[in-house]
Amino acid sequence: MTKPGEAGKPAARLSAVPDPAPDPARAADDLLRRVARGDEAAFGKLYDLVAPRVYGLALRVLRDPAYAEEVAQEVLVEVWRTAGRYDPARGSATAFIFTIAHRRAVDRVRSEQAGADRTRRVGAASVDTPYDDVVEQATARLDRQQVRRCLDGLTELQREAITLAYYEGRTYREVAELLDTALPTIKTRMRDGLIRLRDCVGVTGG
Amino acid sequence: MTMPRDADLGDVHTLAGAYALDALSEFERAAFNRHVGACGSCALELAELTETGAHLATLTAAAPPPRLREGVLAAIARTPQERGRRPEPLTAARSEQRWRRWTAAAVAAGIIAVGAAVGTWSVDQQRVRDAHAQARQVTDLLAAPDVRVRTTTVDGGQVTVIVSPSRNAGVAVLDGLPAPGSAKAYELWLIRSGKPEKAAVLAAGQGTATVPIAPIDNAEKFAVSREQKGGSPSGRPTDVRGGVEL
Repeated sequence: MTKPGEAGKPAARLSAVPDPAPDPARAADDLLRRVARGDEAAFGKLYDLVAPRVYGLALRVLRDPAYAEEVAQEVLVEVWRTAGRYDPARGSATAFIFTIAHRRAVDRVRSEQAGADRTRRVGAASVDTPYDDVVEQATARLDRQQVRRCLDGLTELQREAITLAYYEGRTYREVAELLDTALPTIKTRMRDGLIRLRDCVGVTGG
Repeated sequence: MTMPRDADLGDVHTLAGAYALDALSEFERAAFNRHVGACGSCALELAELTETGAHLATLTAAAPPPRLREGVLAAIARTPQERGRRPEPLTAARSEQRWRRWTAAAVAAGIIAVGAAVGTWSVDQQRVRDAHAQARQVTDLLAAPDVRVRTTTVDGGQVTVIVSPSRNAGVAVLDGLPAPGSAKAYELWLIRSGKPEKAAVLAAGQGTATVPIAPIDNAEKFAVSREQKGGSPSGRPTDVRGGVEL
């Protein structure tokens, strides 16, 4: 016997265990479109969603909290300034933002740090950095676990090549030297590694 | 003479992964941009790989200092947004146009950076004008339909050669070769049917420069040698440091 007010509940129970949270990637797309129209409140929300990843990426590449903070600020202001260029047909808002962030961090590390200094610091930090509650809310944990699993699914050379380029800001020439591997091989491993990663994380279309 | 050929951008397609990971030099980036402009499947692949690369940023998330939020919000309140750049529907022509613009910007940035580095020891308007003229020369050449970009490493510096057979023109960009000393200079050669012919001589002691090497006239190779200042008196290279097939 169904009591009044319970109608519909069984259907709700059929959904995935936690209530489906709003998809953070889609939320970012929507926010960035609003930012493009000059919406400062939307920018504040977008900040909360992406700043931990922008800052964390800069910190990882630059290995220096002061530089990372500077670069993160530049990147986020750049996102505000150029939001009008964002075209949802060409990719996600997060790709738009993290592409700017990565490029800036890499440009900075290549201009700031002497080769010897960087070499000494290679491998000094693991891929994971401290992660707190604020970040937990902002980043989809499942996405994180999936990316980690997908990265683990690559061959060692693919993973090392991608990791050195993305997280250390190395050029593929430097990667080839560091891994003592021929340049064409490194180029190929970066590409086929990313393709495998793409198929694993389920990126579709641009 | 040996010709290291460590980055033949003829197979530029395979650079998509390195491009998406920001692991290319400016010139390789520019060359790849051009390639993508003319290759629809590459543009799609690149979009997907860039999207994939962005996922990697989830693994390094870290809480920024709280003052960053205030700093950024204060900065955007006084920063005007770009106007008139609302994206239009992406047609092949527009995409090509856009890539060309990006290419031109990337290359100009590279050249102007080279000019600026040279200019650190003397603030010289002429140099700045030269740098801009060089940038124009390179962007112009990159717009040629049959342009080829070759790069190689010479004594730890980077050498990029951009040639267009249809325009019978080329530009060599030397970046960060070790200074050869005040009595020596780098000389540039084009090799036709195995015979080296002088293309240009750099100023004594100079290891960074952008130099036109026209006419190309079906040259098959480009080489850099170290000579006494003013160039090899015999008209033949004496100390070949490296080169690349065109």
